[in-house]
Amino acid sequence: MIEALFAGLLAVLQWKAFTFMLAGIGLGFWVGLLPGLGGATTLALMLPFVYAMEPVEGFAFLLGMHAVVATTGDITSVLFGVPGEATTAATVLDGHAMAKKGEAGRALGAVLMSSLIGALVGAVALAAAIPVVRPLVLSFGSPELFMLAIVGLAFIASLSAQGGRGMLRGFLAGGFGLMIATVGQDPQAGIARYTFDSLYLWGGLDLVPVLIGIFAIPEIIDLAIRGTSIAGDVPRGRLNQGVLEGVKDTFRHFGLTLRCSLIGTFIGIMPGLGGAVAQWLAYGHATQSARNAEDRANFGRGDVRGVLGPGAANNSKEGGSLIPTVAFGVPGSSAMAILLGGFFVMGLVPGPDMLTKHLIVTFSMVWTIVIANIIAVGACFLFLNQLAGLTNVRGHVLIPVILVLVFIGSYTSNNHYGDVLVTLAFGGVGYLMVLSGWPRAPFVLGLVLGKIAENYLYISVARYDAEWLTRPIVLVLFAMAVAVILYPLVQGWRSRAKGETHA
Amino acid sequence: MRLSLAFVALLALALAAPRTGLAQTSPFEGKTITIVVGFKTGGGYDRTARVLARHLPKHIPGKPNVIVQNMPGANSITAANHVYNVAKPDGLTLGTFNRNLVLAQLTHVPGVKYDMRKFAWIGSAASETTILAIRADLPYKTFDELRKSGKTVVIGATGPGANTYDFPLLLKDLLGVDLKIVSGYSSSSDIMLAIERKEVDGRAGSYSSLQQFIGRGLVRPLVRARAIEPGIENLPVDEDLAPNPRARAIMALRSAPEVIGRPYVTTPGTREDIVRILREAFRNVIKDPQLLAEAEKAKMDFEFIGGDETLKIVNEVLLQPKDVVDDFGKYIKFGE
Repeated sequence: MIEALFAGLLAVLQWKAFTFMLAGIGLGFWVGLLPGLGGATTLALMLPFVYAMEPVEGFAFLLGMHAVVATTGDITSVLFGVPGEATTAATVLDGHAMAKKGEAGRALGAVLMSSLIGALVGAVALAAAIPVVRPLVLSFGSPELFMLAIVGLAFIASLSAQGGRGMLRGFLAGGFGLMIATVGQDPQAGIARYTFDSLYLWGGLDLVPVLIGIFAIPEIIDLAIRGTSIAGDVPRGRLNQGVLEGVKDTFRHFGLTLRCSLIGTFIGIMPGLGGAVAQWLAYGHATQSARNAEDRANFGRGDVRGVLGPGAANNSKEGGSLIPTVAFGVPGSSAMAILLGGFFVMGLVPGPDMLTKHLIVTFSMVWTIVIANIIAVGACFLFLNQLAGLTNVRGHVLIPVILVLVFIGSYTSNNHYGDVLVTLAFGGVGYLMVLSGWPRAPFVLGLVLGKIAENYLYISVARYDAEWLTRPIVLVLFAMAVAVILYPLVQGWRSRAKGETHA
Repeated sequence: MRLSLAFVALLALALAAPRTGLAQTSPFEGKTITIVVGFKTGGGYDRTARVLARHLPKHIPGKPNVIVQNMPGANSITAANHVYNVAKPDGLTLGTFNRNLVLAQLTHVPGVKYDMRKFAWIGSAASETTILAIRADLPYKTFDELRKSGKTVVIGATGPGANTYDFPLLLKDLLGVDLKIVSGYSSSSDIMLAIERKEVDGRAGSYSSLQQFIGRGLVRPLVRARAIEPGIENLPVDEDLAPNPRARAIMALRSAPEVIGRPYVTTPGTREDIVRILREAFRNVIKDPQLLAEAEKAKMDFEFIGGDETLKIVNEVLLQPKDVVDDFGKYIKFGE
């Protein structure tokens, strides 16, 4: 095992594999920065190049590219409020709010450093989990996955404002997200729901145009109304100092970064949950780290912890999501499905053999993720000051560029003009939500978890009737969901009680 | 006799080609052909199209560029409507869609704005057979043993309209096999994991997607649909077990499109000679040793079925009498 670990590292460090990895990193860097150009599409385009490569080289190339996409995607989210990838939308909330306060440098420093920590933790967790990974994955059946989605939805409680009114709004927004998730043909009876006889809506709403709309459009409108640059009147000098501060933040809140990394890895390992879920659960968890209700109110207004959590989870999940592909031959995402094609091309059959006979190749994949992230983050730090400077560019110069990114980003997700309309429609929804103080995070949580919750609930009942309710992991997860909901309530009650005694 | 005639014709063509080649340039010279795929990247249709796109240029006079464009939506209907109504009939836009689109037309799915009979058919690049496979640790070695066991077997499925759902549904309702179909899994990979953790006992799906799991000894194939693929010739065919002509007709209708596993068409009204060039190019590219070597590595099967034959199957499906279609519609719903 230990030998294979080092053999894997040496395999990646061979000059050929290393060169291919560098090429992959260079590509992934740009793909991540540009919204819309997804990691999966790029993988499909690059797949033919691996025909002539050895497995370690091929994976160094493909994974090097894939691992970096998540890292640089966060940069676009922070700077412009445009999610660079569907999986990097959660960093918009606090990351872009920081940029607007003139702390773009600090936010970028924090998101990159936490990404790096996340990638490292994910890789270590992955390596450590290899001996137990098959039983671990197999112990999570449909009932457990359903309860996991419920735990995720329970985070709405801590993503909402305090008090009855805040909670009500949070859960209504979450309910709206769940409803939007049901658009399209249902998988049990094949009935079209909320499609209004439109072919476009038949397959359901794509996450990318919705997320771009709900996050980017309000920011653009805000920028246009303010008529300044993103960072407002903050002088240029202050922007650049923050990078180191952001790096320090990562270590100041190291426990949080670590926990969110583990959340990301775990979600990654669970197939069928999807990449977008990891970041939002981590964000929900980050808001729980608030010591009291006042502290919690900072989230969404540029709290660095809201950047660290999603940043870490987003990269740690990459290591985890390799597991179902490698150990079972069942890809957890379309990017992984393409990677699976790469396995065959390079003469490997994914499955249990990858954890024994081809362990070196598996470890080389883990190492590729680690090294690619270190290199990418290092390269980012070189440009960070210039990037942060973009928030000083005047709005009327920047807005056309951002708008182009927004519409290209949404259109390329399905090559359908409907995507652009969806972006505009949800842009309107998002703007109204911001204007009237409704939280957007619960809505997204409902949206990304809706299908999962619905389908796994149906399967659980169809397969096990009511028996699934008594499965031990289901009970544990249920207790967790209750705790997650009660925690902010108890906290709010406590701080009120304290306030009264002080008065 | 016919073969030698074809040979003579080919020879004549080969001799004539250089002269005509000088006289006129190819309609594809300096152009870009776009293959519109009705699904996102990552699936089988997409993979096939990308391999073809890589090798097609050298088989088309004028060596055009060939690129792939993904146009997902409404289970391929969007892409088919586009190629049928929007694209110019110049042979520069090809479409490859869900093989079941002909069934969508047959059952009058709203939103269908194409007539499968009027597309300029290039042909199909592969056929796909649906099989039912169950966990290898179950005691049933053959389909017959399963049928006679009297025990319920749980089958995981994605949803109506997919072969993971429709195929076992007909086995259950028309052949009386005791199956419990649990649908809602997000993908066939998701069902595969459910099989590993023994949440379900088996699944239906295309042979190509199940092959690696059969090879690994996780599942055992029991019964297949009509289209033949090497390796499963000896499995019983669902239609042959039908107790009456009605059941047989319904099952036959479900599996008819599978012979056209990877359909390729271009816009109606495209000039005859252009369609002919494209058909030739597809026929040749699928014999191309480089493509075959690549397919072998990637574990993909290619088999060219000519445009005339695919059109014949499409016509057969659409000429079904109304009562058969109505019966069929009771079981099968076009969907994701």
